[in-house]
Amino acid sequence: MKKEDTVKLISAEGFEFVISKEAAMVSQTIRNMLTSPGGFAETEHGEVTFPEISTTILEKICQYFYWSLQYSRGKETDFHIEPELTLELMMAANYLHT
Amino acid sequence: MPVLRSRVIPPTKPEIEPLKHPANKIEPATPARTWDTTRPASSGDDDGGDAGRKRKLDVSENLLGLEGGDREGFLNLRSGKKVIKRIGETDGGNSVDGKEKEKGKEKMDFEEVRMLREVSKDGVDVDKLDIKQNADGSCNEKRRRRFGREEKGKAKLIDEHSTVNGSEFINLDLELGTKHSEENVGSVSEPRKEQRVDKKSSVRLSESRMEQFRDIARQNASKFAYFNVEENHLSDDNERLVVADGEVEREIEDWPGPFSTAMKIVRDREKKLNGGQRIGSLDPKKKSNSSILWIPRKGQRQGPKLIIPSLKELSMKILVQNADAITSLEHVPDALRHKLSFMLCDSRQMNSHFLNLLFSGSPTEIRLRDCSWLTEQEFTKAFVSCDTKNLTVLQLDRCGRCMPDYILLSTLASSLNSLPSLTTLSICGACRISDVGFKALVTSAPALRSINLSQCSLLSSTSVDILADKLGSFIQELYINDCQSLNAMLILPALRKLKHLEVLSVAGIETVTDEFVRGFVYACGHNMKELILTDCVKLTDFSLKVIAETCPRLCTLDLSNLYKLTDFGIGYLANGCQAIQTLKLCRNAFSDEAIAAFLETAGEPLKELSLNNVRKVADNTALSLAKRSNKLVNLDLSWCRNLSDEALGLIVDSCLSLRMLKLFGCSQITNAFLDGHSNPDVQIIGLKMSPVLEHIKLQLCPSSPRVNLEKSLFSMGACRREL
Repeated sequence: MKKEDTVKLISAEGFEFVISKEAAMVSQTIRNMLTSPGGFAETEHGEVTFPEISTTILEKICQYFYWSLQYSRGKETDFHIEPELTLELMMAANYLHT
Repeated sequence: MPVLRSRVIPPTKPEIEPLKHPANKIEPATPARTWDTTRPASSGDDDGGDAGRKRKLDVSENLLGLEGGDREGFLNLRSGKKVIKRIGETDGGNSVDGKEKEKGKEKMDFEEVRMLREVSKDGVDVDKLDIKQNADGSCNEKRRRRFGREEKGKAKLIDEHSTVNGSEFINLDLELGTKHSEENVGSVSEPRKEQRVDKKSSVRLSESRMEQFRDIARQNASKFAYFNVEENHLSDDNERLVVADGEVEREIEDWPGPFSTAMKIVRDREKKLNGGQRIGSLDPKKKSNSSILWIPRKGQRQGPKLIIPSLKELSMKILVQNADAITSLEHVPDALRHKLSFMLCDSRQMNSHFLNLLFSGSPTEIRLRDCSWLTEQEFTKAFVSCDTKNLTVLQLDRCGRCMPDYILLSTLASSLNSLPSLTTLSICGACRISDVGFKALVTSAPALRSINLSQCSLLSSTSVDILADKLGSFIQELYINDCQSLNAMLILPALRKLKHLEVLSVAGIETVTDEFVRGFVYACGHNMKELILTDCVKLTDFSLKVIAETCPRLCTLDLSNLYKLTDFGIGYLANGCQAIQTLKLCRNAFSDEAIAAFLETAGEPLKELSLNNVRKVADNTALSLAKRSNKLVNLDLSWCRNLSDEALGLIVDSCLSLRMLKLFGCSQITNAFLDGHSNPDVQIIGLKMSPVLEHIKLQLCPSSPRVNLEKSLFSMGACRREL
């Protein structure tokens, strides 16, 4: 993937997840961050930090982004979520508008 | 009604013996009574002989046969019953009649009732006086007849009975006088004439009485023949108010103001359009039936917009399934807590474990839509562990089971100021709370702004007085739907004190009248934003007039099931309330032109409109909707069968903000509309192939920050009624 097409999401522990911009745009919050005019650091560097979201949750979220793109292209599968993660995942998803 | 009993006892001896023998039953010494429908025609006959009587009585042989022998036994049996019945009927004579009336029965049934009364009267007479022969016979026959009726399950007797003999008739005094139906009196008098050959004096006396009764009956018969719901609902108050404003009831088009202009425009437009396209043209694009020109989009639409399940929803679903495994709801924002709580209540998986999670710590908002599963102990235990100092919103709907007064006093109202921050409280369905409990509740929650007391059936006007005294200057929202013990006029003085009230819901309180509305809006109308008047069926256009005059900021108005409202009412509303965003009309009698004119005048700010079962809605409304309603998001056109595919297509293609369209019961809509409209965002609900319960989920999106969850429930309930 080219650098311009990717976005870096950084978790609370410092893990960096590099995903395509299209996938990141599934989240309304991230979309706003990346496209809003105003010269924010996120827009320029293509990096967003989430100090409240842990690594496991952020990883799951990235998986969801890709699953969502797949779903909209027609491949409708199930998205499995481990029950232990659901509470935090729900809160993170609420924050990310996704 | 007092029983006036002036009897004239004809001087004949009572003859009971012949009736004891079954064999004699067909050959009584009594005058013949005819039981067949041809009676009036044969009125000229003279019942001279037994044979004649026999003949006539043959028709009723089966009746008599049923009763069979043991005439005496009947007498005894009957006497007891009859006395009781008599008392019941004379005292409740009116009510019996009333009841009959209310069932809308024909005169015939009414006659039956009267006959019962006569029969019973006769029975008593028999018992008391040892009656003379024909009276006896007549009584017996009446009794027989009554027995027959009862035995046959009170089947209607077609015959014009003539069981009343003259002497009895005299005793059928004034209370009956007004209740004779003309027919009955007429028919009775005729056979009586034949029967009472030997009772000439009494006959003549009763005949004149009969004439009198007959005249009275003629005057009153029509009143009793048909029960008119509307007429009987009209109270004196309403009449007075309507009459007083009679001068306003001019033609709508003579009014000053924008509504009449709009009406004129609408009517002219209709004339123009209808004049042009009278006959169906060959061009398939031009619609023949309606005057609306709508071109359905050709070619395939992209298909229904794919709804990708969001991560939030997915994780919530799993959470709900595993709710028992949740150990803490700390850091979970309130909106998510509410969503979880609602989903659990809906799927009946809510339990005390989750309840404790909600109550634990120092919660700020607790919402439980359904507490019907909750027991008193569980609730007490959960509440005791709750730190209520930060609680701002508490919703415990359907808590009737777990919230009697003593529990209330030991939990919510345990001390003065036990709920110091509470601003919103909902205890719908708390049917065991009385005025005492409510008073304690109010004193412990001094900061209340919004209170929902729907279906709290034990609360009386005392409670509303207490509310007005303690919280009168703070209360902004008050819901008292279906509080059966509240009388509108008694609570009016208290309601007038609520100067900051913005939302009032009196749905289902039948004592709400025009007088109440006037009294209330004159005091509090300037602040009113929402008025819910569903099912307050006594309201007329006068209410709308005063609302329009005094409530300029009204945003939401619900007029469902108010069948007395007419186009004049809508006219007032259009001229007065120009800021209405949510308008709910259901089963109202407004015409197409009036609704269209309303939309032209005041339809711009509308976001939610329901025209459910407003059957006259047709092309005019469609055109006005298309032209004016840019902000419309929710539209309900269920049961509006005069709307064609073209009309709906025009609406949907023009109202670009439209997201939900309900079309229950619109069987006239075809795929021409469903496939042909070009609005990709709108969800159409209620036609055959759409999933029926999905719309309920749609309505529950708590998107608006205002306390709208009750409203969602309310409209959901409305949907269920439609279904």
